[in-house]
Amino acid sequence: MLKTSVGIRLLSTSRKSVSVVGSGPSGFYTVCRLLSKSKEPLDVTLWERLPVPFGLSRYGVAPDHPEVKNCEDTFSRCAKEFQTRNASGHTFRFFGNVDIGKDIKLEQLLNSQDAVVLSYGCGGDHKLNIPGEDTANGVFTSREVVSWYNGHPSFARNEKLSSFNWSRVKKVGIIGNGNVALDLARVLLSNQIGEVWAQTDINPLALEKLRTAPIEEVKLIARRDFLHSKFTNKEFRELWELERFGIRGVIRPEFLDLHEIDEANTDRVLKRRVEMITEYMLPFDQRTKKNYKKHRPPKDGFNKQWEMDYLKTPLMINSDAEGNLKSLTVCANKMTPDNRVERLSNQTQDYEFDVLITSLGYGSNPLDEFKSLNIGFVKNHVANKQGAVLNTENEVIPGLYAAGWIRKGSSGVIASTMADAFEVADAVLRELPTSQPRKQSTIDVSNCSFTTWNDWLKLDAEERRRGQEQGKPRDKFLSASEMLEFLNKK
Amino acid sequence: HGHIHKPKTGEELHVTFILKDGTQRQYEVSAGDTLLDIAQANNLDMEGACGGSCACSTCHVIVDPDYYDALEEPDDDENDMLDLAYGLTETSRLGCQIKMSKDIDGIRVALPAMTRNVSNSDFD
Ligand SMILES: Cc1cc2nc3c(=O)[nH]c(=O)nc-3n(C[C@H](O)[C@H](O)[C@H](O)COP(=O)(O)OP(=O)(O)OC[C@H]3O[C@@H](n4cnc5c(N)ncnc54)[C@H](O)[C@@H]3O)c2cc1C
Ligand code: FES
Repeated sequence: MLKTSVGIRLLSTSRKSVSVVGSGPSGFYTVCRLLSKSKEPLDVTLWERLPVPFGLSRYGVAPDHPEVKNCEDTFSRCAKEFQTRNASGHTFRFFGNVDIGKDIKLEQLLNSQDAVVLSYGCGGDHKLNIPGEDTANGVFTSREVVSWYNGHPSFARNEKLSSFNWSRVKKVGIIGNGNVALDLARVLLSNQIGEVWAQTDINPLALEKLRTAPIEEVKLIARRDFLHSKFTNKEFRELWELERFGIRGVIRPEFLDLHEIDEANTDRVLKRRVEMITEYMLPFDQRTKKNYKKHRPPKDGFNKQWEMDYLKTPLMINSDAEGNLKSLTVCANKMTPDNRVERLSNQTQDYEFDVLITSLGYGSNPLDEFKSLNIGFVKNHVANKQGAVLNTENEVIPGLYAAGWIRKGSSGVIASTMADAFEVADAVLRELPTSQPRKQSTIDVSNCSFTTWNDWLKLDAEERRRGQEQGKPRDKFLSASEMLEFLNKK
Repeated sequence: HGHIHKPKTGEELHVTFILKDGTQRQYEVSAGDTLLDIAQANNLDMEGACGGSCACSTCHVIVDPDYYDALEEPDDDENDMLDLAYGLTETSRLGCQIKMSKDIDGIRVALPAMTRNVSNSDFD
């Protein structure tokens, strides 16, 4: 039931009202916490730019990690419980397809709500800023590729990615070694293994293209040394476990100076990481622990590999006469005693690649109104003190909060994002009783064609129905217009 | 969500949760229920973001050392998630991976305070 230009006004009441901007894990966990902990009846409104909820749980987390997306069940249960006013007296409303800052001004929210939580995540890219990055054909950012294979409405049919000739891609370079980089390596190396993808909701258009790529090698390139690797052991283990498909892992011994690692006051995480490497580098039968012998690699040996490369700075991206990516020029680095990276500019080399993906973390952007509203924005996140948003003079702006990736920059898993959201929700609840009087009583949504929670439930049911026909959990709608059309037909 | 079984008479097992504010809650439960299920069925503050699939660490509990050794050792998947838990201790475990059994009857676990003590640059 999509309402287009009908004169609906969000009537405000004397009750306290909170608006949350962005329905990813941080926004939704904030909402759930507010609704489950508030003793006073609250009006909670969740605004989302896309017609559908869940942010990076739906459009970031890899399709072969469905269990990570189970947080969506918690969000759905919470929405269901509070969608109609129950004994708690709270109300919950979801407005999808509404871009805060464009369709509804942030200023309007600030004027009409007792508290506003910014949880709009990091929807931009970080750049290397080296020659060739924007011109060579075959260079993509991690966000572009991830959003493409996850069927994000703005990327599912992305021209740059779908018209690219994947059928000649053998060597892939990934710059960065965070978990997103490892996700990408895993997806690319298992592109032709049907059983991995058959029962996932991966974008079928992307999979069709990716499948044509005869990928043999993925190299993950980091500026720092092994000790500063950014991936977690879980993701690392998953890469090693690809050996069951004939995909081998390589780390050159020069990067694994175990003496140096010993001196580094080895913590639990590193100890386990070193054990993992030591065991997996041994031939299968020589491994000492049975947990490293889960699946024997195929008899005919390995035909693909990933490599963790360290201590390199990308300098230049080179392309051929047609503008296609040819190679990446890097120089070697060394770590200084105080853990800085020092370039060894005379030690350069060229790595040949058919595709290069920059995985430098998702970038965040201030909303346009931050200037006029004097909201601070520093180093990839909204200026804040423990979630309380600051103005450019570093003073707390009463009633405005930030949670999740926009609060701290693009790092942290669902668990840390949740902890962060709970902390912010608790602060909101503490401070609501003394909130300043509202300047305005209503938010006019009559010019928005928004989706409601019930609309999402219809889209969700349809996606699951289509998926079921193909033996998958869901088959996603691949654009906002298809979603809206489906709803309008209903 | 948080479904637990009613213990048969005479087969009740016991578990005590120590909440963040220090209060203790004891329950009579049946074998096979996980600590996550028990906590959720009793509305304790244990999230279980991944629904008990060992993929999130939000069900972290600190086990009383007297009972820790009676538990089966955590496997790699559990240890990988414990790596990411806040306030990790020597006797930390994931609530969704601990099933009640006779061997651990009377087990006591504390819910950790959710303060950050690890820098988390995991996903970037
Ligand atoms: C590729 C990738 C893989 C990951 N894999 C895992 C994993 O396996 N396990 C794990 O624990 N974590 C994983 N994470 C991390 C996890 O996704 C994040 O911790 C979490 O999604 C951050 O939540 P958030 O709400 O801050 O941001 P987001 O999830 O990005 O949500 C922000 C929301 O705000 C909306 N929005 C943006 N601008 C506006 C606006 N102007 N108005 C209204 N709405 C707006 C967006 O559309 C989006 O829905 C992964 C992340 C990435 C990028
Ligand atoms: S509930 Fe996610 S790890 Fe236990």
